[in-house]
Amino acid sequence: MKFLLLLLPSLISALGAYVVRPYRATVGWLNALLSLLSLGAALVFAGHAARGAEAPLFGPGELLRADGLSALLMVCVAAASTLTLTLSPGVGTETDYTHAQLRRYQILINLFIFSMLLAVSANNVAVMWVALEATTIFSALLIPLTRSKSSVEASWKYILIGSVGIALAFAGTVLGYFDFVALTGRAENALNWPALLQNAPAMHPEVMKLAFVFLLVGYGTKAGIAPMHTWKPDAYGEAPPALAALMSSALFAVAMYAILRWKIVADAAIKDHYADNLLLALGLLSLAIAAFSVAQSRNYKRMLAYSSVEHTGLICFGLGLGAAGVFAALLHLVNHTAAKSLMFFLAGDIERKYGSSAVKQTRGLLKVAPWTGGLFAAGLLALMGLPPFGMFISEFALFRAGFAQHHPWLMGAALLLLLVAFVSFITRLNNMLYGEAPAEVAAGETVGWRVAPMLLGALALVALGLTLPAPLETLLDQIMRSVSR
Amino acid sequence: MIGYLLEIGQALLALLLAPGLVGFIRAVKARLQGRRGAAPWQPYYDLRKLFGKEAVVSRNASWLFRFAPYLIFATTVAVTMLVPLVAAPLPFDAVGDLLMVVYLMLLGTFFLALAGLDPGTAFGGMGASREMTVAAIAEPTIALAVFGLAVGAGSTNLGRIVAQTLSHPGAVINPGHLLGFAALFIVTLAETGRLPVDNPATHLELTMIHEAMTLEYSGRYLALIEWAAALKLLVFFSLLANLFLPWGVATTLTPGGLSVAVIALMAKLALLGLAVALIETRIAKLRLFRVPELLGVSFVLALLSVTSSFLLR
Amino acid sequence: MNSNDAIFAQLATLCSSLVLLFGIALLWRRSLVAYVRAFRWQSLALALTFALIGYFGHNRELYVVAVILIVLKVVIIPGYLTRLYERVGGKREAQPYVNIATSLIISGLLVSLSYAITRPLVTVSKLPTRNGIPLAVGLILVGVFVIISRRKALSQIIGFLVLENGIALLAALGTYGIPLIVELGVFLDALMGFLVMQILVYQINDTFESIDVEQLSRLRH
Repeated sequence: MKFLLLLLPSLISALGAYVVRPYRATVGWLNALLSLLSLGAALVFAGHAARGAEAPLFGPGELLRADGLSALLMVCVAAASTLTLTLSPGVGTETDYTHAQLRRYQILINLFIFSMLLAVSANNVAVMWVALEATTIFSALLIPLTRSKSSVEASWKYILIGSVGIALAFAGTVLGYFDFVALTGRAENALNWPALLQNAPAMHPEVMKLAFVFLLVGYGTKAGIAPMHTWKPDAYGEAPPALAALMSSALFAVAMYAILRWKIVADAAIKDHYADNLLLALGLLSLAIAAFSVAQSRNYKRMLAYSSVEHTGLICFGLGLGAAGVFAALLHLVNHTAAKSLMFFLAGDIERKYGSSAVKQTRGLLKVAPWTGGLFAAGLLALMGLPPFGMFISEFALFRAGFAQHHPWLMGAALLLLLVAFVSFITRLNNMLYGEAPAEVAAGETVGWRVAPMLLGALALVALGLTLPAPLETLLDQIMRSVSR
Repeated sequence: MIGYLLEIGQALLALLLAPGLVGFIRAVKARLQGRRGAAPWQPYYDLRKLFGKEAVVSRNASWLFRFAPYLIFATTVAVTMLVPLVAAPLPFDAVGDLLMVVYLMLLGTFFLALAGLDPGTAFGGMGASREMTVAAIAEPTIALAVFGLAVGAGSTNLGRIVAQTLSHPGAVINPGHLLGFAALFIVTLAETGRLPVDNPATHLELTMIHEAMTLEYSGRYLALIEWAAALKLLVFFSLLANLFLPWGVATTLTPGGLSVAVIALMAKLALLGLAVALIETRIAKLRLFRVPELLGVSFVLALLSVTSSFLLR
Repeated sequence: MNSNDAIFAQLATLCSSLVLLFGIALLWRRSLVAYVRAFRWQSLALALTFALIGYFGHNRELYVVAVILIVLKVVIIPGYLTRLYERVGGKREAQPYVNIATSLIISGLLVSLSYAITRPLVTVSKLPTRNGIPLAVGLILVGVFVIISRRKALSQIIGFLVLENGIALLAALGTYGIPLIVELGVFLDALMGFLVMQILVYQINDTFESIDVEQLSRLRH
């Protein structure tokens, strides 16, 4: 029942947007309200899991399941979706899109949200894969909303790289299933997570190693782990701000969730630190590439995309550093979801105001639009890992885990790279906030009532930075307990 | 003793059959093209005519020009004694195996190219360079293609390979086997100067490779070279036939077995000749730039054949 | 291994080699018509492999999968592709990033590489079809190589479809296919993914007047 409450609202929203021709603003408002239902259901699941209760199941063959990890991700995705739908173009504010484009936007973004929620609640490995492929399809259709040359180019690169990644992930899934046939014959529910985990210790390590490599490369392409991250700057830079916000926060989280799930199975089968080492190596590579790319970036939207890659690297580190590392990584994921979704909306507003997304042309933000500028600065400082925001706490926990696991050189290198990125971010931020605004830019806030949800998001970040809310902590503890078993 | 007599008899048989094979292919092509064409034994008449004619040698030619036809002929005849035409294993197997066969054929090709360069004509040089382009990729492919089989047999001895395939008939549909056959077939077309690589009936500058190198030859030299070319065709066909489909090859030296082997050989040669004639009628000649691509395909096929045989032992 | 298994193994390896060879044909030919034809034949060979495994492995679901494969990848998708290249862009692939002879040699090396990395799989598996697994992984690598080295968007799509065929072959040979429901979901996804790519190619053609991906290079730092 709760599962239906989680999944149906976005489907109904999509259907509603499809049926209503031409697009009316009420559709947008209705969809935003419906998404609150999903958020409510997700919070109920989270509370359920935090109390340590047995994970609820649903559907034929136990299709859907909501254990602690799923619940955490559900909350992240649902919260990001609600924020996105509330701040969507055409929802009470002026926008440059036509009615046809807005209708297409509403249909596709709701289908996108539905597939993400399905991916995190799926109990079956293959259903999760199908849902992730669906997210690629829907987002690829949505990126070229305005049919400009650069957005079409970005969408093509995104779908090609994304589809290859997803196909490789499927190869990895097949290889993960490979041992099953050898071990148990064709069992029912063979592709369910609990069954896989149960049989994992008996699987052949070499097969699982090969499978994990394929899975890491495949789902890593979706998550944007270097060197498969090349689609990110293009896609995030050219997509409509709402889609970019959702992709960078929720979709990224779902992809990392897939990697974590498979890592748990792989660790049980391989029994040494093979998966950990792979994740650490790729994490370091992502950090390095991100840091130096930020130093070269001239466009603030692409800069945010590289910041995404940087955080991908950090989360990969966390996943490779044992139980404490996974705790830090999940906390970081939550913080990142909150921060990133904000940032792209603000970036979209700034772009609409200044007419370009080049850093050089965006000056004097604080004078022209103080609220937008202030929130943007706060968000960017949060992404850089400064206190009092939540990222500071999670990065601190990450490094503590890293030193505890005896990887001092690795952590040192990571800190150095973070410093490089920090300097680049600060210089660009300064350039954007201060100075004289270009003459053609109209002074005055355009953000209106939308500052309220954004402020809410920023306050959430501060709250997460000052304290670790008890429910969140219990939930994470529950997850750790089930992960390290 | 009997074995050595058999070897010599095998070489004589090859010498006898080779021009007939060329004539057979020509006759089939003619029929397919709607002409009556010459009789299948026309090449014998051509050879007799050429042997009777005077050999005209250019003033710029050196000793190589006169020496090459004999060498080419000798190496090709030597190869016929090493290849399992009618019987396997053979006494000369101890002397020569797959690699020896490849090297002997390469020696012949090398001297033919030199002979094309020797008189200093433009056509000769052009033919020689084209021939080397083809040979550069084709020769390793021959070795690889048969090597795929050799891995399965555990030895590069051609007789042993034939015996191995005879004792394991199920191996015929092995992918290594079939890939090797495909690769060797393409190489046969290339090495023997058949379409789509080279047109044996043309003397146009744009299209000839083998003919260009032998343009200066006349009389008995030309006869020897033509005979050697026909022998090469026979050798390749019998390699294709007997390595990959060895049924009919005599394993014991009895008159009955041998006669069956001879008839089987002629049947297989006729079949392959028919196939080549059909291909030559159907396919147009490839541009010279495309020939390395075709040979690249055959190389990949041979490589796949070797890897699959090797890693799936 | 009894003789029935031996014949099964030979036939399975034979069919897998055919599938791989049609994939390598993509690296050899130049025209888009030839690409689509090679893909058609490859999907047919793949369907044959599925039917074969269904017969010898006593798994009726695989017959259904084979039929769906034929309907989808031999009839529907090549039909769309044909319509696509007739409406958009020319019929020839421009000079690819890697020339043909080198591409062929690289593909040979990729298949040898796949033999090396799938050693553990072949030793672990007890199925009669295990000898074809390196060929399936080789096809996956060849598919990725086609995507990287070709210049026209349409060739890249066909490379992606070949990649998917390789993965399906791997599933068939390694695990006798996956449960039917999942297979159906995968097919649906593949079809939708293809349709989206097709839509995008039309959009690329409309905005760029060509489908040469060299044109798609505006986005830099």
